[in-house]
Amino acid sequence: MGVKKVGAKPQTLVEKIFFLDFIKGLKTTIKHLWKKVITVDFPYEVVTPPPRFRGVHGLRTVDGTENPEFDSWVKRLKIKPPEPGETRCIACKFCQAACPVPELFDIQSEKLDVPEDHPHYGLKVMTVFNMDLSKCTFCGLCTQACPTDCIIMTDIYDLSSYTRRNWVLDKDMLTQIANEFASRRRDEKFDQHSQWREDQKLWPEYDKTREKLWDFNMPKLGPNYHDQTA
Amino acid sequence: MSWISVEKAKRLEERFGYPKVSQDKSGVVSVEVPKDKFIEFLKFLKEDKEYDFRMFLDLTIIDHGEKEDPRFQGVVILFSPTYQYRIIVKTWALDETLPTLTNLWKGAKWAEREAWDMFGIKFEGHENLVRMLLWETYPYHPLRKDFPLEGIKDTYLPSLNETLRGDSLEGLFNYDRMHTAIPTMEDLEITQKKRMPVKTSQIVLNWGPLHPGTHGTIWFLFDLDGEYVKQCDIIIGQLHRGVEKLGENVNWQQFIPYTDRMDYIAAINENHAYVLAAEKLLGIEIPEKAKWIRTMMAELSRINSHLLWLGTYALDLGALTMFLYTFREREKIMDIIEGISGARFTINYFRIGGVFADLPYGALDAIEHIIKDLPERINDYETLLTRNRIWLSRNKDVCIITEEDVYDYGLTGAVARGSGVPYDIRKIDKYDAYGEVEFDIPVGETGDSYDRYLVRMEEMRQSIRIIQQCVAKLRKMSKNDPYFFQTPDEKKLKVTIDGRGMKLPAGEVYASSDNPRGELGFYIYNKKDGLKAHRMRIRSGAFYNLQVFTKAIIGRPIADAITLLSTIDPVVGETDR
Repeated sequence: MGVKKVGAKPQTLVEKIFFLDFIKGLKTTIKHLWKKVITVDFPYEVVTPPPRFRGVHGLRTVDGTENPEFDSWVKRLKIKPPEPGETRCIACKFCQAACPVPELFDIQSEKLDVPEDHPHYGLKVMTVFNMDLSKCTFCGLCTQACPTDCIIMTDIYDLSSYTRRNWVLDKDMLTQIANEFASRRRDEKFDQHSQWREDQKLWPEYDKTREKLWDFNMPKLGPNYHDQTA
Repeated sequence: MSWISVEKAKRLEERFGYPKVSQDKSGVVSVEVPKDKFIEFLKFLKEDKEYDFRMFLDLTIIDHGEKEDPRFQGVVILFSPTYQYRIIVKTWALDETLPTLTNLWKGAKWAEREAWDMFGIKFEGHENLVRMLLWETYPYHPLRKDFPLEGIKDTYLPSLNETLRGDSLEGLFNYDRMHTAIPTMEDLEITQKKRMPVKTSQIVLNWGPLHPGTHGTIWFLFDLDGEYVKQCDIIIGQLHRGVEKLGENVNWQQFIPYTDRMDYIAAINENHAYVLAAEKLLGIEIPEKAKWIRTMMAELSRINSHLLWLGTYALDLGALTMFLYTFREREKIMDIIEGISGARFTINYFRIGGVFADLPYGALDAIEHIIKDLPERINDYETLLTRNRIWLSRNKDVCIITEEDVYDYGLTGAVARGSGVPYDIRKIDKYDAYGEVEFDIPVGETGDSYDRYLVRMEEMRQSIRIIQQCVAKLRKMSKNDPYFFQTPDEKKLKVTIDGRGMKLPAGEVYASSDNPRGELGFYIYNKKDGLKAHRMRIRSGAFYNLQVFTKAIIGRPIADAITLLSTIDPVVGETDR
């Protein structure tokens, strides 16, 4: 077993008399005196969160990039087949089942009120999807449980508000958040089947603010494994 | 692995007649003895040279449910530093009492207080059996099975409800007007008086609970003679959230976000200990790639945690610049962790069965970049501090913790290693990839604050060494290698990333990981296959390490309290759970 002894050596007389310890310390301090500022001037400057960032939730809409199992899930749960632009949520409540604080979700679905000969007779739609984010731990388990990649986590992190009521997001708000996120950053997060990109980057390289906090010495991102391509 | 062999334990059976030895599938060896022979048996285990269980690890209670008789079972976990193995000793707490262990190991004092607090088990012969985490006038014992998860709502507290635009929140999102009990000022006064019934001086100094020097909400009571401490006790529990109770009421994967919030400085290591225990109970072997990723991330988190410790420690002793320097490096590490897992602080990256996603493109490059940079930075810190005469006089020979204390109080982590005990779970258990990487355990000589400082500095360098080996190994792997456990037969064994429908088998397990703050162990007892644990005990390293504070500070001036607390480095989230 490798054991390494560490122990204190007393100060030598030379060190004591000539204050060598202080001089050495000051050298380090002076070295840092001429460095550039590394703090980001928030809120005038912001660092773009990485693609995997777990921020405020969103509900995605049908836009032709659904995963291959989407149709079968819709059929299995007797949901009205959504038109493009409608929500992907099939009210399966898998997110609620995976959540460490399940009471933060309020998901309801209703049978459509249509005559018997209508093609949508007997099918359901999701009507209520409320999330109380004041109870949320932002662990991301709901996004991993979602079979249709509907619930996602976006890059929004400032969710302060004056009343507790504003932390409760309803389905329209969540849909809007997801749509805005998709138009802003979808290419970083999802591939053509709405799954996580394989070549997802550690952080967006177009973001120049990050350079500051890395001491103006950013690492160059390359492949992790020998068979990985960007 | 690292449990006493069954043959050796069976010899105990032959010798005494009354112990019942059993081994679980997970490898745990436990011995059951009758209550009246309990102390005699433990004394033998401690003092006999052939067994030599000198080190006290944990004491806890299992509540088998209201209908069972006998209902409560005491569980003691011991470790032998000579033979490097553990044993579990169990006994039934008849009439809700147990004999005290404090005459054998002083460290059992707090554990027994906690058992009294949470289960209402009285320990006969305990010097001052008061509550540990809750206040003295609290009427219930919350970890009993008949105590509901949401608590007993008996206090009227309307102020939680929204008032700005009228009280109009409806349905799920409204708050109950009745709240669980909260302590009043009188309650706290009673608690304080009970903690220190005999005081020797005129003034008892209160330090905390909200003081920047206590690094969280810890409430210290010092009985002073001039400026020298004669007596000391600590009141913790201000951050108690009942994580053990939550662990018994949420599903297996869903408990991981809660472990994040225990030791929030090193959340990855907390996750690690938990998933190790759960995997051992499941009896699965995770993929090679997941092992190396986990080892790498755990060490990155250790450096992250030690950087925060160094910054705040130096800040407390008056070296302000250190804080700024260490936070610069910490920021970079947090940036990498954020890119890999999606969060900076409450990381939730590990899962039972591996990790939830592969490393993103460029992660290894960023990690390589930082470990190339770090040794130079650590040298910078050392030139500022290590030989500095003020630093030396504030730390050298301050609050010595002896080897004896380490075994008595169950000290682990850098506190044990600073006192010259090479106790490191990474070497003993060789979990994940730690068996395959090379690193040294730094140990101190005298056990003073300065040694604990040097040990942690060296630990950072060793962590860098481990990360280098992990990166080199991961570079050779393929992107198609699995990072999550693949079930051979989905019907028999279901292991999912999100944890829905995942069941863990019946049995018991104790597994631990070497946290920056000591040994974090999870003792899981499962009565039958289930979605939830029957008993989830968290053996917190910070809790036991903090306990030695009350001894090491005796006879020292009050100014040393800061030094000692910083070198013990507890995180309140973990001590209180």
